[in-house]
Amino acid sequence: MSAAEETKGKVGVKPTWQASLAGAISSGVTSLLNLLSSVRFGVSLLVLLVIASMIGMLIMQQSVEGFDKYYAELTPSQQFLYGRLGWFDIYHVWYFNALLLVLSLNIVLASIDRFPKAWTFISRKKLDAGAAWLKGQEQSAELKLEGESRQSLAERISAACQSVGLKKTKITEKGARTFVFAEMNAWNRLGAYAVHVALLMIFLGGFLTSHFGRTGMMWLLPGVTESTMTETEFDLDQSKPVTLQLPFEVTCTDIQQKLVKRDGPITAGNTTDWLTRIRIKDESGEHDALVHMNAPYDYRGYRFFQASFAPAGMARTVTVRLTPEKGGEPLDVTIPRDGSATLPDGTVIALADFWADVSVRDDKNVDTSDYNNPAAILNVKPPQGQADRAFAFPPGMAENAPIAKRPVGGYTYRLVDFEKVPYMHALSIQHDPGSTVVYIGFGLLALTLVAVFFFSHQRVWALIEEKAGGAYEVVLGGNTNRNRLAFEGRFKRLINNISGKPQEVEES
Amino acid sequence: MSEVLKQPAIIGSSGQEAKAGRSVLISYLPAILALGGSVLLVLLRIRVGGEHFVSDGALMMLALASYLTAAVFHLTNLYAPTSWAQKLGLWCTTLGVFFNLSSWGVRWVAAHDREFQTYLSQGRLAEMPWAFRYIPFANLYDLSLAFAFGAGITTLLIAHRKNFRFLGAISLPLAALILLLARFIGGEFIELPAVLDSYWRPIHVGIASLSYGVALVCFAVAVIYLLKDGVKVEAFAIWSSIFAIAVIATISKFSVFSPSTFGTYTASTFIGDARSPIGLRANLPYVGWALVVSGVLLLATIITFIKYLWQKDEAARKWGRRLLKLSLVAQACAILLFVSQVKSAAAIKPCAETGGASAACIDERQYEKFAVWVHQQQKEAPEQIAMLSSEQLRAEGEEMVRRNAPLLKLSPKANPVELSALITAFAGTLFVTLFGFRTEKLREHLPPAEKLDSLVYKLAGVAFAGLALLLMTGAVWANESWGRYWGWDSKETGAFVAWLTYGAFLHSRIARGWHGRKSAYFAVVAFLLVIFTYLGVSYLLPGLHSYA
Repeated sequence: MSAAEETKGKVGVKPTWQASLAGAISSGVTSLLNLLSSVRFGVSLLVLLVIASMIGMLIMQQSVEGFDKYYAELTPSQQFLYGRLGWFDIYHVWYFNALLLVLSLNIVLASIDRFPKAWTFISRKKLDAGAAWLKGQEQSAELKLEGESRQSLAERISAACQSVGLKKTKITEKGARTFVFAEMNAWNRLGAYAVHVALLMIFLGGFLTSHFGRTGMMWLLPGVTESTMTETEFDLDQSKPVTLQLPFEVTCTDIQQKLVKRDGPITAGNTTDWLTRIRIKDESGEHDALVHMNAPYDYRGYRFFQASFAPAGMARTVTVRLTPEKGGEPLDVTIPRDGSATLPDGTVIALADFWADVSVRDDKNVDTSDYNNPAAILNVKPPQGQADRAFAFPPGMAENAPIAKRPVGGYTYRLVDFEKVPYMHALSIQHDPGSTVVYIGFGLLALTLVAVFFFSHQRVWALIEEKAGGAYEVVLGGNTNRNRLAFEGRFKRLINNISGKPQEVEES
Repeated sequence: MSEVLKQPAIIGSSGQEAKAGRSVLISYLPAILALGGSVLLVLLRIRVGGEHFVSDGALMMLALASYLTAAVFHLTNLYAPTSWAQKLGLWCTTLGVFFNLSSWGVRWVAAHDREFQTYLSQGRLAEMPWAFRYIPFANLYDLSLAFAFGAGITTLLIAHRKNFRFLGAISLPLAALILLLARFIGGEFIELPAVLDSYWRPIHVGIASLSYGVALVCFAVAVIYLLKDGVKVEAFAIWSSIFAIAVIATISKFSVFSPSTFGTYTASTFIGDARSPIGLRANLPYVGWALVVSGVLLLATIITFIKYLWQKDEAARKWGRRLLKLSLVAQACAILLFVSQVKSAAAIKPCAETGGASAACIDERQYEKFAVWVHQQQKEAPEQIAMLSSEQLRAEGEEMVRRNAPLLKLSPKANPVELSALITAFAGTLFVTLFGFRTEKLREHLPPAEKLDSLVYKLAGVAFAGLALLLMTGAVWANESWGRYWGWDSKETGAFVAWLTYGAFLHSRIARGWHGRKSAYFAVVAFLLVIFTYLGVSYLLPGLHSYA
């Protein structure tokens, strides 16, 4: 700017090339700033953002499941073109980020440009107005009123304003004229700026998340300890797992699945909840925690979410009916997964394994969620003697099979009940320093949007002048920054109130 | 809802209105009655039980009928203003909103009862989840029911200003279309995945349905504003015709206009009473040709109207209007043919056997695709399927079609969005035709343009705030349930795009030189994006929200 002033000063002197370059730069910067701070440019950016987002919706993104199939079906030219344009990952491509950055800049600059003017509505209120100006307002009226004095009339108008909700009033006198100014919700002029602060905050949070946030999966089998999580990185139709070290160890102590129909399969449709109990161990000691559906657990800035399950059928507990070989009352024993039970005679029965479907045995990768032919495999150790393997089938199944009939440790076994549970659970672990910032932004945005759109700054002025014969002429005018329909109603009520005509509308 | 809806007003108040408007409460009576009535009905449903009570499906149909009746009265009132038509319109709207909300509430109770039986029979009532699990926000049917309610209640709340009661003439047919779509989707209950069983679901989806409803009414006012502002009916006709042609071109997997299948319309088939269709489409005779005729007529309408607008050629205008009416008839024929074929079709045979007669049949070109689909259903690897030759696949497909022919059926459920889109295109043409009738008189009866503009702005503001809340609650829900508040999922992005468009609308008013009409176009586009988010994403794009 100083360069520009300098050139201006040297009238008649041929500007040096440095000066004219500086002038060009400065005028370039000015027009760039003007462009960047214009609302029109902001709207254009919004339209560009809409277009880019639409592209991202219509062209499958590489992180979406099934992308490899979609990619394979595209023609080589499409693959090349979309790939070159970054359309398979458009929300992370440089120009998308640049667009968001320019938009943020636009918001900041446009706010700086406009804020001082908005601030004057609060700092330097317009308290008086001429008759011509008042008559040109959205709402205006002229009244002829009788009264004792200008002052008492002004007070009456001021009270009328307050009675229709224009609570803040101010009476000023200038010579032979008295002005009444009344307004409500002047702060509403600033609401829009608060909205934009909230938006910038959300953008900032998003930036923090995308640069410092990490999300990984951890598969947990009861009894197993893990200290890493796996993140998936995408590169077009290829994806590769990335292992991340955690600052603590996680041991799974128990998993549980709550079913709607207990005799139904362990599918998502028959489930109301999955629960994972974990023990977290680090230098500060051990912490027991429960993670379940829609109830994450927070620890040291990490959040654990119940994410997935392997639908191979297992049992959380089994109830086995033991029939003594030598006759006598059968005995029911309940054994937890990976646990054991001790009989009164000292026999220890451990649950060695559980097959949800005997025909597919213990292949944990097979979907055996419907428990077609279940069997519990037990490890039976009598007080004296060798441990041996026993099979417990449900009553009515394999009644005559030698493997089911053979007594082990003095008993035969039948599986009378079991609690269904999947083979393993997966937790999703999130470490996101941005989400708090985003949440604060959300809160601010919700509040400010309500403040902006559900309120409006409404102003009314009255000019009182004394006319011949003790009558007063009052010119009223008013405007609003939003919600003209409601303001029109309010203004009409005000006029009725002042003129003393019966009110047409009552306010509740 | 918003200040404009809450503040009493005396705009254009006649002596009669002053009397009617004595109390704010009275001006909101219809809305209060509709809401209170449905709460009572739902309480009654809880007390009486489901057996001898009207079903949610029946209530939905009653709502649909009430909305349409109300729209007819409102339209009558627009062309020939009479107080009885206005009153009947208002009360039918009230009835529609009452039935609409009742249907939703009764559905909630029904969903609860259904699982109550399951827990009761197992003797595990104590373990039964809380009532919010059964809130009808589980699939597109539920959302449509709530969306139509959102549109209905917004219309009813705005109707407290007598000047804006006519709005129902446009917004209620749209609400009825949404209910019709719900009807096609079908109201079977789904087993709710546990992850959706979060208290954020009613908050998020509730906000969705209400803000979509406001967006719908905003669109209706924007259209009326454009009409009032003097946009020629012919220009409306061009846009509605482009929309209709786009619908005809895209439905049935682009088959109607594509050269290799020109003039054929195919619909997905079902085996027996299955809930979802199979990967086999049946040809519906005549429907395709009726659509081609409609498309050609619409194209001719566009050309003649452009000629009129360009050269002020009155003859072209006259011809354009005739063509528009003809296309309306052709579209009606296509829809009727479609519906009658779907109703009558049973045991769909290969076309070779029916000899191209008037019944729906399976074209032999479908066999190969069908066989591939069956192999995919059996979770075979793509490489494995690729090893099969075309002949093999074709033979397999034909064999399967012949074997299953007695069980093959058609249903409007096959593609509810296609059918609804066809009906929407028809409705669009119908409305444009209606607008063309005594247009000047119609314009006179509408409120002043500034008032309409002000209402568009108000509603867009509410829709903008609503969509912002929608996005935020969705993000919080996602972060609390999945640990990710934003993932550029298609539905998220769709709502975001619609929100940005409303944002652009709001800003366009403070940018110099963008007033009235230009802003109104933003409001129209924003609503189209809302609809795209609501339907297109679920049916066209993959993602998290594909359930609803």
